[in-house]
Amino acid sequence: MFARTPPDTTAGVAARRQPRALLGDRFTAAASAAAVAATTFALLAPAVLVAVLSFSNDSFFDFPPHAWGLRQYRTLLEDPRWGSALWLSARIALPVAVLSALVVVPTLFTIHRSRLPWRGVLQVGGLTGIIIPISAYAVAMYGVFAQIGLLGTYWGLVLANLTLAVPVMLLVTSAAMSRIPVELELAAMVAGASRVQAWLAITLRLLAPAILAGGVLAFVTSLDEAVFINFLGGPGQETLPKAILDSVRYGLDPVITAIATLLMVATSLAMGLAAQLARRGAR
Amino acid sequence: MSDSRTAGALGASASREPAMSTEPSGAPETVLDIQALSKSYGETPALEEVSLDVRQGELLTLLGPSGSGKTTLLKVIAGFEAPTSGRVLLRGRDISRLSPARRGVGMVFQHYALFPHMTVAQNVGYGLKLRRVGRAERERRVGEMLELLRLEGLEGRYPRQLSGGQQQRVALGRALAYDPEVILMDEPLGALDRALRIEMEEQIRGLHRDLGATIVYVTHDQREALALSDRIAIMRAGRVASVGAPEQLYTRPADSFVAGFFANANLLPVVEHELLAEGHARVRCGGSEIRCPTTTTSVAGDGVVLAVRRRSLRRAASPGALRIAGVVAEMLLFGDEQEISLQSPVLGRVVAMMDSRDCAGLALGMEVELFAPAGEAVLVPVA
Repeated sequence: MFARTPPDTTAGVAARRQPRALLGDRFTAAASAAAVAATTFALLAPAVLVAVLSFSNDSFFDFPPHAWGLRQYRTLLEDPRWGSALWLSARIALPVAVLSALVVVPTLFTIHRSRLPWRGVLQVGGLTGIIIPISAYAVAMYGVFAQIGLLGTYWGLVLANLTLAVPVMLLVTSAAMSRIPVELELAAMVAGASRVQAWLAITLRLLAPAILAGGVLAFVTSLDEAVFINFLGGPGQETLPKAILDSVRYGLDPVITAIATLLMVATSLAMGLAAQLARRGAR
Repeated sequence: MSDSRTAGALGASASREPAMSTEPSGAPETVLDIQALSKSYGETPALEEVSLDVRQGELLTLLGPSGSGKTTLLKVIAGFEAPTSGRVLLRGRDISRLSPARRGVGMVFQHYALFPHMTVAQNVGYGLKLRRVGRAERERRVGEMLELLRLEGLEGRYPRQLSGGQQQRVALGRALAYDPEVILMDEPLGALDRALRIEMEEQIRGLHRDLGATIVYVTHDQREALALSDRIAIMRAGRVASVGAPEQLYTRPADSFVAGFFANANLLPVVEHELLAEGHARVRCGGSEIRCPTTTTSVAGDGVVLAVRRRSLRRAASPGALRIAGVVAEMLLFGDEQEISLQSPVLGRVVAMMDSRDCAGLALGMEVELFAPAGEAVLVPVA
């Protein structure tokens, strides 16, 4: 009645095979850890290099620096050019973030809550801004802006950056929206809420962290925009990325290491904040 | 509602008695009146001419396989879907075109659908707040609900800090708090594990009894329907196949679908039948001739089958019993009970559920005779 030899041998084989399999797993784990470490290093090394260089007191690029100090940062603060570039970038990025939200929120409700036959197209169409190659898009926009007189204007730049910020925000918030079950709205409506009340008090409220996170990303996207400004910006319109590009074009000024470091730190903090907000929204 | 509570509870328990009469004396008034409701999505009909009445204080279950239209019916009652034709009356008021908010119904969803950003107390009080019930009265009412649902001390918690059973109790509280005329429940126990489901069944039964609430309950689980319902409406392909008290559906199924789906009965081919007086018939089936109850009025030879429940079959012969002879094709042990599949040359596959002690000596391939005592087999029309 009891099974004898055959199951025993297979069990034995399995037992003998197991350590080898474990060894294989350990090798795979070690290999992937090495790959991750190498990739991370490759990605971070230039950033770290720039950050280190920003604390050099040399007036030229050299690694390792001959003298350490805060000279680059002092130059940065003393030169009004950087401050005004940052100010222009921020003045563009803030309305871009706000307008993105105003465009994205109704779009989200259309995509996720309506029965419009074209809502799938809207979903894909909303992302075109980051799918089309940016330089091609910039050329097209140059043509249009020239026609309607938006070249070199502040609102022209806001509008251009909006085409990049909206898809970024849509991407982040759409994921959050799809995690909000429609039953929550139905439950609110059965309990006595109008559709609009249910949207505002339940869905929009639950979406708020994702919208904030998307806003931060939209802000950063606009702040960092370096292509459109070169095509569409007019004389005197110098955003931070343009100022950096220009300073590199006319010779390497080590002050850009300081500005690059500050920019990296600020965006990392902003991204961290966005991730934190998105995570809170997911809970 | 307080005055109608006892009356409703009494009516409910009266109809759950195993007596054959389903009408308690002085039939309670109709709360929800569904009249010839149809709903189609494009060409596909989801509901066809569904008529149903739900009475004061009863728990009516919509039972059916998936795609039978039971959830669609619930959505139309709640106002999430507009009917293609037909009407829904709540206490005589036509609510078919009203928004969900204005219907005054409560609903419990399968996945609770609690508001994650609100505390337990805020969730339960949500409907009251929308009705502009004052703060003090709201707090009193929420406290009452939490006590009733054994959720005291959890009012400040958020849904994610609660167990599945607690979440479902909060969902019940949210639906009950504003005292709706009728409460709709869409497979409310579907997301819970088995042990918890049985506990929640008891709780729903208790709430229903104590509050006398009128409940429309959707499930695909026949056992759950039996445990909870005053009446059951069995749905099939967008229609109501049969409505009745559980015992009635069980012992006198209206047709072969109800017998097969609800009572899990064997449907045996009939050679010939003759209708007698008082809902009985003489039937020839598989070599025996018996006198049995019937729910058909058809005198035609085809279009009827003999429904024999699995637990009706036993090995001991009795006078007037239906005899089934065949070969044991399969045996499954369920502890105290055993499922025996018999292959009969005339009747096909017949499944019996018998006491394990009664199965002693049975083996695969063995020729046996099983008997359904007189009155246990029912002649039904083919659906």
